Amino acid sequence: MDESRRSGPAAGLPRLPLALLRRLLPHAEREEVLTDLAAEHAERVGRHGVAAARAWLWMQVAGSVPALVRRSWWRGRTGFEPASSRMRPGGPGLESWIMDARYAVRRLRTRPAYALLAVVTLALGVGGTAAVWGIARGLLVAPLPYAREGELVAFWNPFDWSQAEFAHLRPDFPGFRRVAMYRTTGVILAAGDEAPRVVPAVSSSAELLEVLGTRPLVGRGFQPGDDASGAEPAAVLSYGLWRELGGDPGIVGRRLRLNGVERTVTGVMPEGFWFPDPSVRVWLTFALDPEDGSGNYALVGRLAPGRTVAGMGDALRRITASLGERFRYPEQWDKTKNASLVPLREYLVGEVRPALLATLAAMAVILLIACANVAALMLGQVDGRAAELAVRTALGAGRRRLLQQLVAEALLVGVVAGGAGAALAAGAFRLLVGALPLGALAAGAALDWTVFWAAMAIALAAALAVTVVPAASLWRGDLRGALGRQRTAGIGGRGGRVEGALVVAEVALAVMMAAGAALLVRSVAKLRAVDPGVATRGVAVLEVAMPADETPARHLQTVRELEAGLAAVPGVRAVGAAKRLPLRGGGDNWGIRVEGRPELASSTTYLRLVSPDYLRVMGVRLLAGRGFEAGDVGRAEPPVVVNRALARKYFPGLDPLGRRIAYADAWMRIVGVVDDVAEGKLTDPAAPAAYVLFGGVPYLPPAVALVLRVAPGREPAAVLEAARQRIRRVAPGAAVQQATTMTQVFAEAIGPARQLMSLLALLAGLALVLGAVGVYGVISHYVSRRGREWGIRMALGLRPARVLGHVVGRGGALVAAGAAIGVIGFLGLARLLSTFLYGVGTADPLALGAAAGGLLLVGVVAALVPARRAASTDPAVVLRET
Amino acid sequence: MSAAAPLGAFEEQVLLAVVRTSAEAYGMSVRRELEEVTGRDVAIGAVYATLDRLEAKGLVASRRAELAGQSRRLFALTGAGGRALAETRAMRDRLWRGVDLAGLLSGGIP
Repeated sequence: MDESRRSGPAAGLPRLPLALLRRLLPHAEREEVLTDLAAEHAERVGRHGVAAARAWLWMQVAGSVPALVRRSWWRGRTGFEPASSRMRPGGPGLESWIMDARYAVRRLRTRPAYALLAVVTLALGVGGTAAVWGIARGLLVAPLPYAREGELVAFWNPFDWSQAEFAHLRPDFPGFRRVAMYRTTGVILAAGDEAPRVVPAVSSSAELLEVLGTRPLVGRGFQPGDDASGAEPAAVLSYGLWRELGGDPGIVGRRLRLNGVERTVTGVMPEGFWFPDPSVRVWLTFALDPEDGSGNYALVGRLAPGRTVAGMGDALRRITASLGERFRYPEQWDKTKNASLVPLREYLVGEVRPALLATLAAMAVILLIACANVAALMLGQVDGRAAELAVRTALGAGRRRLLQQLVAEALLVGVVAGGAGAALAAGAFRLLVGALPLGALAAGAALDWTVFWAAMAIALAAALAVTVVPAASLWRGDLRGALGRQRTAGIGGRGGRVEGALVVAEVALAVMMAAGAALLVRSVAKLRAVDPGVATRGVAVLEVAMPADETPARHLQTVRELEAGLAAVPGVRAVGAAKRLPLRGGGDNWGIRVEGRPELASSTTYLRLVSPDYLRVMGVRLLAGRGFEAGDVGRAEPPVVVNRALARKYFPGLDPLGRRIAYADAWMRIVGVVDDVAEGKLTDPAAPAAYVLFGGVPYLPPAVALVLRVAPGREPAAVLEAARQRIRRVAPGAAVQQATTMTQVFAEAIGPARQLMSLLALLAGLALVLGAVGVYGVISHYVSRRGREWGIRMALGLRPARVLGHVVGRGGALVAAGAAIGVIGFLGLARLLSTFLYGVGTADPLALGAAAGGLLLVGVVAALVPARRAASTDPAVVLRET
Repeated sequence: MSAAAPLGAFEEQVLLAVVRTSAEAYGMSVRRELEEVTGRDVAIGAVYATLDRLEAKGLVASRRAELAGQSRRLFALTGAGGRALAETRAMRDRLWRGVDLAGLLSGGIP
């Protein structure tokens, strides 16, 4: 091939076609064919002219390429080498690759255990990583469905803004192009003959869709004046809801009954649009009341052109100054003090980021472990083939050629693992979405082809990375020496240092994973042990959206009828109702006044609207006085039951019984004190709360939670269906929002740590198994390398127990080193988990110790199997072989 | 060796071209012979691919030799190759037997 380069193509000869042909010709034929073509070309130039000769040459190449590609394929497949090429065998790259691929297939087929282990190991890592990446990409990387999302920001104190504040600022939001106010809610949708159902909705000012900058698919969004009092209420549907309602573009202008109010559908948003989370299905305007001071809304704005979040300091100062002039704020939630803006992306998906990143990191660790395992496996294969490779080298095979074969084998494993991994990712995708603490954002995670391509790319990259280790061993290794060693019983063979390092790394990674899982297990155990102050067993829960078009008296009556109706459901002992359940994140703060203490700074407590039986059904402990009685309903001076925290805060050292407090100007007398209940989050400190009967304050809850105490020994979940049907009969205009149990409510209150724990525990188990396989493989290989040496030494009197001890000791030392590195590594990475921990530090010795100890145990057991094999070597057999 | 497999049309042509160029049968000379006799421009790659296949079937043999100062892969017909050509021709003759060429050329099938 060098000669031809020297002679080179004659002047005037097109180079490109010949270079192309050259790549497809076997070594032995190159020179001849290219020279002949050049000669014929020159002849044709003389006969027919340059252009014709050139055209002929191109035609020759064009006609030859398909035939030569087919021949390369055929030669690679059959291994055919003509007799004339014996002195210079070998062909174009394609041919040798095909030969290597075929050889790899044959090799893998004759070693099914190795092939299966490598493929399955890699597929697990690849599939998991691809699936989590698919979810993370959708939520963290993919653009939000809004125009120029970089300009969008969320205001401080979300869901604490009032209509009055918004109305005051609305004419001029300095630094903003436009600002909208919104809150999430649920509306009862009654369409056709179906049972009314609750649909997650957003209730907003007319600016919302303009701020987000997304055009509706059909019809129009909101327009200024849609939220003026007396204006026609507008509704914009999500693509999904529109499809459910028939997908008719003519829906615009039609009327839809939402919360008992006829609304005109003005538009439909495009597919893929969501705000503020993918569960919301309809966006509504409402008549703004500039006098309403209750804080329920969040603000979202689009910055004026040229503005950045960092450069909004002056604008925020003007906004807070304007708020401070108009409103008086109590000290603890002064909106003028903590003004800040958060980029909308961070505000909407920031909360799921730590969990996603922790999972992605965990999956990547699994992938690394898998790679280390496969690398060790391949290294073992290369060592096991030392003699074969040495023979091939002696016969003239270049190292490059041997490497190419290795790479072909790895790529083959990679392609198969990629396919299997992609299938795994697709199968586990929904499962994973459910296992991750994504909340409402889970609806936005969708499986698509990018996951498949990701799996393939990751698998191939991993396969290539994996070859680096055996390739380096091949490159360095003295292959000719291997032939000699083969005869001298392997004494003095390499120490398997690379393999050892791989296992140490693998164990370190597995320890990190196990430590993370152990920390979460400890956190969740501590969270489970928290006493929420209410019964978590034997209580069924039905959250019901009330008919919106009822008079106050009728509304109260409906609640009573629901209670009575549900009490008659078989298996139900008692029924209570409340505006809001504990453990659901708080809310419903009301300003409190205490009789005789006008000097008390204005402050608020939780106010819980309940039915007389609620406290009893929920198992709230009574500390003093009495609970509610049926006769309390409608009393001129409503009774109130307060919790311990309220009594301690407002009546320190006094007996609160018989004293009077007021909410919303309704004075009531304290008749009882109950124990604190986890009103907000499970881990919140006790907060003052007062229980008032429905109707005690002038407020009609749009939804109530009905709690059903079931008979002892009955599953609360078992009565839910009958309860649903009863509700439909008793109150046809009401809609069941959610049917669940207090056990479930409590489990959800434990929060994302619970879901992440299950996932990490699963992955840690996987890491443990993979680590054990790695230890087993490497120690097995070590034993087989040293087997003859031990056989001889045992023949000379070495006791088998010493061999056993030596082998297990070696395995143990590797695992111990890995465990130590893993613990140190974990301490560096534990920050990722800190947001999920409760009651344990990231350096919890128990969790770290358990993780390291567990791996040590598994590692020693994995080493014990080959160790026993080594100890039971029969010296006679070894001596005969030698 | 593989007398059972009948020769393809192009295989037959290449084999005959090898015979016709006898002592000087190499890739380009075979290609040139085919072009001169058939009047079709044949791609050199196709010739080599076919020669490879024929050699794998044992119908031609190749060896490396010097020819006019150039190292060449020279092809020669094997005994099996000769038999295959003879069989192919015999088969064709059998097929032609009883076919009235004059009638075909005058248009229309009798």
